[in-house]
Amino acid sequence: MGQNEHLRNFGMLAVLIIILCVLPSNINLYQRSVILFTMMYVILSLSWNIISGYTGYVSFGHVMFYGIGAYATGILVVDYGWHWIATLGVGVFVSFVVSLCIGFPVLRLKGPYFAIAMLGAAEGTRVVATVWESLTHGGEGIGLPNVENSFETYFAMLVVMLATIIVSYWVGHSRFGIRLNAIREDEIAAESLGINTTFYKLSAFALSAIFPAAAGGIQAYKILYIDPETEFFILVTIYMKLFAMFGGKGTVIGPILGTFILYIVQEITWVKFPTAHLIAFGVFIVLVARFMPRGLMGYAIDKGWARKGMVH
Amino acid sequence: MQEKAEIRSKYWLALFLVAAYTVPFGIGIYTDNVFFDLQWLADLTTVILNGIMQGGVYAMFAVGLTLIFGVMRIINVAHGELVMLGAYLTWMFFFYVGIDPLLALFLTLPIAFVIGVLIQKLLLNAVVGGPELTPLLITFGLGLTIIHIVEAIFTTDYRTIPYAPDALQISESINIGRSKIISFVMASFISISVFFFLKIHRIGKAIRATAQNADVAMVCGINIFHIYMITSGLAAALAVAGGALVSIQFGFNPETGVLYTLQAFAIIVLGGRGHYIGALIGGVMLAVIESLISFMIPNGTAMVEIASYGMMVFVLLIRPRGLMGPKEN
Repeated sequence: MGQNEHLRNFGMLAVLIIILCVLPSNINLYQRSVILFTMMYVILSLSWNIISGYTGYVSFGHVMFYGIGAYATGILVVDYGWHWIATLGVGVFVSFVVSLCIGFPVLRLKGPYFAIAMLGAAEGTRVVATVWESLTHGGEGIGLPNVENSFETYFAMLVVMLATIIVSYWVGHSRFGIRLNAIREDEIAAESLGINTTFYKLSAFALSAIFPAAAGGIQAYKILYIDPETEFFILVTIYMKLFAMFGGKGTVIGPILGTFILYIVQEITWVKFPTAHLIAFGVFIVLVARFMPRGLMGYAIDKGWARKGMVH
Repeated sequence: MQEKAEIRSKYWLALFLVAAYTVPFGIGIYTDNVFFDLQWLADLTTVILNGIMQGGVYAMFAVGLTLIFGVMRIINVAHGELVMLGAYLTWMFFFYVGIDPLLALFLTLPIAFVIGVLIQKLLLNAVVGGPELTPLLITFGLGLTIIHIVEAIFTTDYRTIPYAPDALQISESINIGRSKIISFVMASFISISVFFFLKIHRIGKAIRATAQNADVAMVCGINIFHIYMITSGLAAALAVAGGALVSIQFGFNPETGVLYTLQAFAIIVLGGRGHYIGALIGGVMLAVIESLISFMIPNGTAMVEIASYGMMVFVLLIRPRGLMGPKEN
């Protein structure tokens, strides 16, 4: 990959960012929040992609970090009166610590067992959030003070998204990322080449845990009400997985593209068909996993529309 | 060296299980829910008996999961949704046609078998032996589809089947719901028949041969894709039978399937993946610990879910092959 391709990729990113910067003042509140949630899912699917796409450890419980971030913001803003921007840092830190504590034992599991264990961890966190009433207000949830915040949350999300994209890009192009790929392809071989697999897996896991926490925090401040059922909703994990897989996991453009296409499609359909759109999503996951396991980008490479280096 | 690690992991597992069973007692004593008088002991006995009865049913549908895993190395995360589907099928036959839930098994099981065969033929046959995660994602999507189709038809309301609600008096203060006993007897009967089917019948032997080594089985003239379909059908039938037996004891709604998947998975991890008897023992063990938790810990019913997750994660970490699973290579 030459200097030119980096330049071109950053050019594309810059165009995207400029569009997203100009957009909010020209569209209405609803459209702004749709774009905001699209950006949120870009963050989530790219983060999921770091551990699951690059490293090959498919997580079924990434919503956990998102929920932790949301709860950090909710609790600190309501009970302690912090400024919401400051709470994001706490959410990220807690999420980082939790990811290390959970990742250390769980990353020893392989393939499906890791996936199921993560599902378990996420559900476990949800139950804790429900039961630990003195901290989390239990099942009744937390209502945040209602202020007009569509612009600040929008730009905060944009900044986090930018950070996620840049970090993902860096992971995709650095030796760090190559080592993660080596772990994905053959962990034992990677280890025999002198790669400290535990360290790299844990770093990838922690890296993929911090951005969802920030996104969750911003989102909590945006929707103003959080409860365990919505913040640890399994559908969030499903979405991030599906968006990343649809776009092409293990690439940077894939999850971004997948999210922009699918999230907007689902936003349009769910208004009209509240139940049917979930059925359609289930069928869609089956079809993508069965016929297009490498996603749009994989398909593009197979067809020769994109070169391998270009999509990273 | 290998042997030593083996034995050590066995002791760790034993230690973990002892700890897992003592923790509810510990918390119970701490929160003054444990009394050590005659009444309390009778209650405890009831709870444990109930747990065992429950375990029979859990074990039965977990056996379905373990069969699929053993034969195809696939984890079917839609298994719990099939259990839920079975409950709804039974409910439909009971309310619309008026068939006794147990007699309805004669109708639901063939339907389930066909569903299982179709799932296998259309979705899973192509991915057996490929990367382990593809079938996981496929069955995950399938489960999501089933949940929301059922939700679209029946809404999310809880349904129950009023069947044999009275209790059987064993002694003065110990009694057990009759529906529980009926389910337990049925579940044991079905599990044992399937066990003997696998041991004695030609197809059962072919299934076991495929589980041991698919390539060699193919060389011996077994059509392994047929075997896969039969296994999948059998597993679906077991799940649906489990659903029927669950439906006469508890309420259910479309979301309950997720919990059953989880329980079945915890059971087969505990018992040893792909091991038949292991799944039966694991089922009873999990159900007993669940009922102990909900009996002794205040707010315990919310903790039941954590019990299966915790059990599963710890067993995976301590001893991935579970109680009696085959050695990992």
